Amino acid sequence: MDYNQKIEEALTIIWEEREKKISDKGAIVKRFLKAVNEDVSDSLLSEGFVLIEKDIIKFSNKGESKARDIIRRQRLAERLLMDVLELGRREVDSSACAFEHILSKEVEESICTLLGHPKECPHGLSIPPGECCEKTKGLIESIVIPLTRLKVAETGKIVYVLTRDHPQLHRLMSFGIVPGARIKLHQTKPSVIIQVEETQVALEEDIAKEIYIKKLS
Amino acid sequence: MNIVLVGNANVGKSVIFNALTKSYVTVSNYPGTTVDISKGITKLGAQPFTVYDTPGINSLIVHSEDEKVTRDILSKSDIACVVQVADSKNLKRSLVLTLELLELGLPLVLNLNMSDEARGRGISIDVKKLSQKLGIDIIETVAVTGEGVPKLKEAILKAKAAHPLKVSATASFDEIASLRKKNQKIEELLRDVLRISKPKAKSISEFVGSLTVGPITGIPILIVVLFAMYLFVGRLAAVWGVDFFENTIFGSYINPFLSNIIDRFIPVPVVKEFLMGQYGIISMAVTYAFAIIFPIVTAFFLFFGILEDSGYLPRLSVLSDKVFRIIGLNGRAILPMVLGLGCGTMATLTSRILETKKERILVSIILTLAIPCSAQLGVIMAMLSQFSLRAFLLWFSTILFAIVTIGFLSSKLVPGKRSPFIQELPPMRFPQIINIIVKTGARLKWYLKEAVPLFILGTSVLFVSDKIGLLNLIERVLSPLIVAWLHLPKETTAAFIIGFLRRDYGAAGLYQLARAGALDKIQIFVSLIVITLFVPCIAQFFVTVKERGMKVALMIAGFVFLFAFLAGGIIDHLLRYLILVKGIAVL
Repeated sequence: MDYNQKIEEALTIIWEEREKKISDKGAIVKRFLKAVNEDVSDSLLSEGFVLIEKDIIKFSNKGESKARDIIRRQRLAERLLMDVLELGRREVDSSACAFEHILSKEVEESICTLLGHPKECPHGLSIPPGECCEKTKGLIESIVIPLTRLKVAETGKIVYVLTRDHPQLHRLMSFGIVPGARIKLHQTKPSVIIQVEETQVALEEDIAKEIYIKKLS
Repeated sequence: MNIVLVGNANVGKSVIFNALTKSYVTVSNYPGTTVDISKGITKLGAQPFTVYDTPGINSLIVHSEDEKVTRDILSKSDIACVVQVADSKNLKRSLVLTLELLELGLPLVLNLNMSDEARGRGISIDVKKLSQKLGIDIIETVAVTGEGVPKLKEAILKAKAAHPLKVSATASFDEIASLRKKNQKIEELLRDVLRISKPKAKSISEFVGSLTVGPITGIPILIVVLFAMYLFVGRLAAVWGVDFFENTIFGSYINPFLSNIIDRFIPVPVVKEFLMGQYGIISMAVTYAFAIIFPIVTAFFLFFGILEDSGYLPRLSVLSDKVFRIIGLNGRAILPMVLGLGCGTMATLTSRILETKKERILVSIILTLAIPCSAQLGVIMAMLSQFSLRAFLLWFSTILFAIVTIGFLSSKLVPGKRSPFIQELPPMRFPQIINIIVKTGARLKWYLKEAVPLFILGTSVLFVSDKIGLLNLIERVLSPLIVAWLHLPKETTAAFIIGFLRRDYGAAGLYQLARAGALDKIQIFVSLIVITLFVPCIAQFFVTVKERGMKVALMIAGFVFLFAFLAGGIIDHLLRYLILVKGIAVL
């Protein structure tokens, strides 16, 4: 692993720890040692990526934006591998790490658009939005789209369900609305009606928007 | 020893229950028909068992109150066998629950019901193989025809404790993760068990189903259904049926016969008056119950039964979702509301299918305030249809307006949130005539058992108050309200008093007054608005207390009482102004 990769890995670690509300230097260095076999905190400091005060390690502005880019690419790569190439969780975890280092900005935006500007990685962690997400209208048509973008009588395969609200997700799942299920859109107004296997379910639009599917021809 | 029937919603648990126990609980074609436990006795072999019918659940992790009822009964001791009733065409979904039930380690039998529908859709299930994989007995049935029921009985007797099939690998009970795992397990279980041959062309039932919820066709179909109901209940039953019962059966045969007997054998004038006088048990209570209300509720229950069994009711939720959102609810709330047209008491129980407390309170308010029950609705239709369809539509829009405004305001006042709209739509089916008849019969029996005693009680109260002068006193005390504010004759006071017991009884009292020519058009209209919005009947009030608590129930009832008279007065003044001053023929 070269120097740059180690730095990037270290930035990823700090980001992930911050999502868990951890900024304790000791805990973070412990993870550095595990992942890259050395304490890179001094290098990070001299590169100007982090600020260290007592036992707290924090991103500088420069480090924040670099980490954000890396995390975004890594999590987009996970989505790509999982949703489009349909690889299993284990393959995804090992390949995505390598992937993130070689993605260019342009390729990253194309992937993001292709995937319908996903908001979460397969593990349920949030993907930092990029410029393309705000513009949304890309030239490339997304492969993974929210259910509401499907046309009536078209069929699709559920890729993921975005909602974090447990009772709601649970209800959807108990009707068979789970990743992998084939659905057919019956109508969109006055309510969205879909068919999953032999079950017909009516949904309000806000819920339908959170169900992401891959269109089947 | 107990047998518990569980399963997803609308799979036919109640039909199986009826088949096992030879009793009758209501069976329909929509999720949420059963919201409470029913208990019945059966004898298998020589052994007596208690059978429990339960509200549908999709998983043992529950979200609404009716589902909780089911989960609670599974923790009962002394369960000889749990029978999971499943819809054969939705095997995959059903197995989620099967896996959870297996984890409980109770003796379990899986009953694949509606196997005819599955076969019709080209779905074939290798029952033997699945049974080996799961380690439990699996019995296919078509419960409505009784096919497979004897086999099911044998399997229940043989059922032994199930061996839990380990699926939850992690000790932590993260429900979503465990569901994912279950889904993987189910794929594995069904690999060489489930075969689906090519789906055939769209069936008629699917076609009709899609028309009823379609953006263009849905509303016209709803209007046709409502108009058909108006014709059947409001015109045919309420006018022709009531006339036949009252004038022919009671007027020409029963009443002369009874008064003849009473005249001859009961010489005491007070007793005679108690039976046949103005507030007499026979002349008032029995006549109202049998001659006026009985034909109306019979027609209503018949019509309603057809709607229930066709699968149309849950489809209404699709059409009404957007409207209900204005008043802080979602489309699912249409079910308790429509059931409220049958009986507000039952409907208040059905509000259990709603997920949040706020939604249940809102529905209770609207049910108490503005949803007339079948008997009351029939009497109202009968009275209004005598002057014009326009009058009926005006009544309808007034009530609708009250529902929307009060609903909107209470949704702002009641804390909590709305749950999102997710509703399963069962297939449209052609109703089975025999079930409609049996169901109507059961409901009529229940109506008579509940209404007649209250009618008799109400009449006795009126009779006694009249005799001791209390009625006169009440009429004088309430005169500013009834006579001055509402411009109604003081005789209507008695109708409102008995309306406290049952609103339909009050409405019937108004009906009699109207036919006797004691009320003019405006008075009829105003009195109907008041009796529609009036306090809930006693039974509904008690159920509201049970479901929502005394405090909420009292607050609702108090508010509704004030609102009914306030709204009635305002409408009275408005109509008088428009008709008498401006000369516009509103009614």
